[in-house]
Amino acid sequence: MDTSKPAIFVNGALLPMHVRKRVRTVIQVVGADRGAVVGKSPDDLQLVVKGSPPSAPLTNFVEVIGIADSEKSIQAEIWTNFGDAFDTYNYNQLCQLANGEYQHLFL
Amino acid sequence: MPVNLTPNAIATINGGDVNLKPLVQVLDIKQMGSAQERFRLLVSDSVLTQHAMLGTQLNDRVKTGLVKKGSVIQLIDYICSQVQKRKIIVVLNLETIIPDCEIIGNPKMVSDALTQKALPNTNSMQSSTVGYNNLSSQSHGSNMHGISSALSTQNHGGNMQSFRPTSSNQNQGSKMQSFQPALGAQNYGDDVQSFRPTVQPPYQPPPSYRNHGAVMKNEAPARIIPISALNPYQGRWAIKARITAKGDLRRYNNARGDGKVFSFDLLDSDGGEIRVTCFNAVVDRFYDVVEVGKVYLISKGSLKPAQKNFNHLKNDWEIFLEATSTVDLCPEEDGSIPQQQFSFKPISEIEIAENNSIFDVIGVVISVNPSVPILRKNGMETQRRILNLKDRSGWTVELTLWGDFCNKEGQKLQEMVDSGFFPILAVKAGKVSDFNGKSLGTISSTQLFINPDIPEAHAAKDWFDRGGRDVASMSISKDIVQGGPKNEVRKTVSQVKLEGLGRSDKPDWATVRASISFIKTDTFCYTACPLMIGDRQCNKKVTRSGNSRWQCDRCNQEFDDCDYRYLLQVQIQDHTGLTWATAFQESGEEILGYPAKELYFLKYESNDDTRFADIIRSRLFYQYLFKLKIKEEMYGDERRVKITIFKADKVSYSSESRYMLDLISKVRTY
Repeated sequence: MDTSKPAIFVNGALLPMHVRKRVRTVIQVVGADRGAVVGKSPDDLQLVVKGSPPSAPLTNFVEVIGIADSEKSIQAEIWTNFGDAFDTYNYNQLCQLANGEYQHLFL
Repeated sequence: MPVNLTPNAIATINGGDVNLKPLVQVLDIKQMGSAQERFRLLVSDSVLTQHAMLGTQLNDRVKTGLVKKGSVIQLIDYICSQVQKRKIIVVLNLETIIPDCEIIGNPKMVSDALTQKALPNTNSMQSSTVGYNNLSSQSHGSNMHGISSALSTQNHGGNMQSFRPTSSNQNQGSKMQSFQPALGAQNYGDDVQSFRPTVQPPYQPPPSYRNHGAVMKNEAPARIIPISALNPYQGRWAIKARITAKGDLRRYNNARGDGKVFSFDLLDSDGGEIRVTCFNAVVDRFYDVVEVGKVYLISKGSLKPAQKNFNHLKNDWEIFLEATSTVDLCPEEDGSIPQQQFSFKPISEIEIAENNSIFDVIGVVISVNPSVPILRKNGMETQRRILNLKDRSGWTVELTLWGDFCNKEGQKLQEMVDSGFFPILAVKAGKVSDFNGKSLGTISSTQLFINPDIPEAHAAKDWFDRGGRDVASMSISKDIVQGGPKNEVRKTVSQVKLEGLGRSDKPDWATVRASISFIKTDTFCYTACPLMIGDRQCNKKVTRSGNSRWQCDRCNQEFDDCDYRYLLQVQIQDHTGLTWATAFQESGEEILGYPAKELYFLKYESNDDTRFADIIRSRLFYQYLFKLKIKEEMYGDERRVKITIFKADKVSYSSESRYMLDLISKVRTY
């Protein structure tokens, strides 16, 4: 496991707390806008993911890891297809755990 | 407990009283007689003492210890008799007031001198009476009573026969003396020493109590006593009580024939409660008379030990009405008798209550399920309806309504909940069940009150309206896990072992998330009988008969094709440990993913061991949610915990994650 470049689990609401830091989240792809992917965060907020998506077509859910460059956008380095079914409720809970009482357990 | 004996009771009784019903204390008890067992008491009114003979029908009181030395008793039916110049109280009915008590006061011991001095008139009369001088004795009414009563006492003892020849004998000389030892032995023990036949009553037929004025039945209305004071040893009693419940008329059929029975429950102003039961003809007399909510005066019935399996009232007795019983409506309302008596317990207490215990609860109905038909064990169909009740303890409990409750109260509750009301429900006498956690169910004596006008109901409503509605509450009825299957008790493999599951009478059930680490393949299935017995397949193991056919010993039939069913031994493993478990047909197929027949043919007909091994290996290390039945069984002399896989579900990561997130949030609150 690569621990040299930790990425913080975030949802839409938590993203503004981590601007200019390395974050990770899962978005539900909604569409594309001027070279960026528009998606919905696990807590149903709209996020913009910039960078170059992989050549393979994106699935409904995609994990992105990269630098939060604003309160609503991520400059993504790594894109991972998470398939078409994903439990966003659980992921959102995970994000809250990672930024709450159990933060010390997460990288 | 301080108690006052009735002052001057002994003197008053000696003076001929039969109505005082005094409280006296027993100072001594002696057993008399050989032909028939009798007991003589020494009773005290705290100043004087007197001997008293117990009627033989009261012998049991002494034998069972209800009357013993020190007991304070109330004499109910009694008479003072003259026996051989001495007064003695003959007790026909009594009541134990205090079973055991210190000696009260400083009573003087009985002595002949005392009794003789106290009764100079009697003595002089008797000493002057010779032979047939009974005319004068008849003029002494009360004395006459005394004598004849003494006679009848002896009659009870069976001694009359021996006495009669004596009384007809005019000769009072030494012949009489010869009777003395015999009489004494059968009669009054040491009293015989003072037996001096100075008087010979004329022969008279043995009198009986019935034609005897002094012990005539007391026809005055019996005193009203609290229900809590009722016991089987009272002759006459009356209670004033409200009918809080009336059971249905039930017909039964047993070895003694057909019959009908109904019962009702009473509550009095002291909070005493008791059940009243009527059988057969008595049912007809009272069934239409009794009405729930009204107050009645009830008298004359017999008390029997309460049938605790049907009767959950706080009373060790129940009343059986008889033909002579009376149940009279009190026309005026008696506000001192409550309409109902509850002893509400918070739902949180049900969780630790024992199975089958009886509870009163009050709470808010937060949901009502539709009524569903249920087939009972006896083949009859009944209705069942489940609702959820929440109370101020912050817990909810499932209340299962059975039978008529579903359509009466259940329907009403459902309509109220459906239209957005949250009714208050008071449950009187619900039964705790440990099915699915802990729940409450109705029994025949349960009563349901919707929005009752009692302080507890108002308090519950108030609590609910002021935020109780939004309080997240846990149910004690089911281990509800978000996203997970219902009714499950989660355990780890080591918990199953360490907690000793399966050791009780009933099997334990647990859900374990684990992987299969090993599958035993020497025998993984058996040849089963495919025939139907009723609506179920026989499934008994069948054996080859001849070359190609199969034989079932149970069905005693042969057939060409048999069924193949799993009997799979596997090891299941989680992060805490490893255990063996057995999977039968359905769960075996869930685990292996193929019908048993297919794998059987692969292994034994095609002999394709490679492919068979591949399939088996491909099933290892998948995570399942196993529903396990755990029960300790005897194998010869050895006790072994047998774990059966009842169900094997592939873990759904999504719902399992939710389950674990829920666990984390629970940890956080501690």
